[in-house]
Amino acid sequence: MTFAVAVAVTLAIALGTYLMRAAPALLLADRELPSVAERALRNVGPAVLAALVVVSIAATGDGEGTGIEVAEVAAVAAAGVVAWWRRNLIWSLVAGMAALWITLAFV
Amino acid sequence: MNAASNRRSATFDGRRSALFDRTALADGLPLFVPAIPFGFVVGVAVVESEMPAVVGWSTSLTIFAGASQLATVTLAGVASVWAVVVAALVINSRHVMYSAAMAPTFRQQPRWFRWLAPFVLIDQVFALVAMRTDRDPTAFRRYYLSLGAFLYVAWAGAVTLGMAIGPAVPTEWRLDVAPAVMFTGLVVVSLERSPAVVAAVVAAVVGLLAAGLPDRLGIVVGASAGVFAGAIAETRRARRAGDVAVDPDPGRGGFTGVGGGG
Repeated sequence: MTFAVAVAVTLAIALGTYLMRAAPALLLADRELPSVAERALRNVGPAVLAALVVVSIAATGDGEGTGIEVAEVAAVAAAGVVAWWRRNLIWSLVAGMAALWITLAFV
Repeated sequence: MNAASNRRSATFDGRRSALFDRTALADGLPLFVPAIPFGFVVGVAVVESEMPAVVGWSTSLTIFAGASQLATVTLAGVASVWAVVVAALVINSRHVMYSAAMAPTFRQQPRWFRWLAPFVLIDQVFALVAMRTDRDPTAFRRYYLSLGAFLYVAWAGAVTLGMAIGPAVPTEWRLDVAPAVMFTGLVVVSLERSPAVVAAVVAAVVGLLAAGLPDRLGIVVGASAGVFAGAIAETRRARRAGDVAVDPDPGRGGFTGVGGGG
């Protein structure tokens, strides 16, 4: 990725992000967000990040085709279980990386 | 939010003259601590990214949203340019809800604040200021800007630290897997309501089926399916509750980003 493209990409994301943070506050007077929009937006975080995790594990480095590595699956599974159990991102990260290293050492 | 409560809350906020509201620091610190390893992971990912490091680092200052930055730097050069932009923006689209929820409070503020404040309207800021909308406008503004400034500087520091230490870490440690691990924790912690579970599960299953598509297109396909399924689940849930409107507290129970408490 060239410098110019990278700058363009980040500026586009920065501008879009600012607009999403600013537009409703600036434009909505006494009205609220339409309930359809609100329902769609509520679960965007879990949906995008779940898809991101699955695709980044399943897709190979070159972006085409699939290939799943056991250690990565173990890492993500451990992170998920500990996040559910402890509700804490630091423990989740520690457990995930520990599971990765243990699996890499034995598989 | 009404005038009476504004006057009431003004009384417990005595130090009006100080520029920086130290209570914002006290409130913001516990929310920032869980974000430190996340910032570190972003910093490491910036170093490993196909994107020039200085541009990757600058996302902390321009985009200022951890999950979105992490997606940007890890997908750059791997996915197509438009897929990077779409993925990053879709992740941040939850901020639309925060912004809408802040509209009545921002309306009492001067114009410069209404334009500046959204720049730092991230998960942690929303979680904290949403509980303080009944403060008088001056105290609210000071609290908001103090909190925003603290998190902005602290976040850039955490990312910079990750960039500094990252290259010293041996490649056998496989820190390239850390973003996926971090994202998994974020997803699971956000699964407090059943529609969120539906959205995540559908997104994961469809994403897996679409994982073979070029340019990481599976992310967009899976995420869209998840958002759609989540919206249907929200509607069903609202109908079951006998109320067509969704509950009026958009920040709670939804995706709380790098928080961990709130």
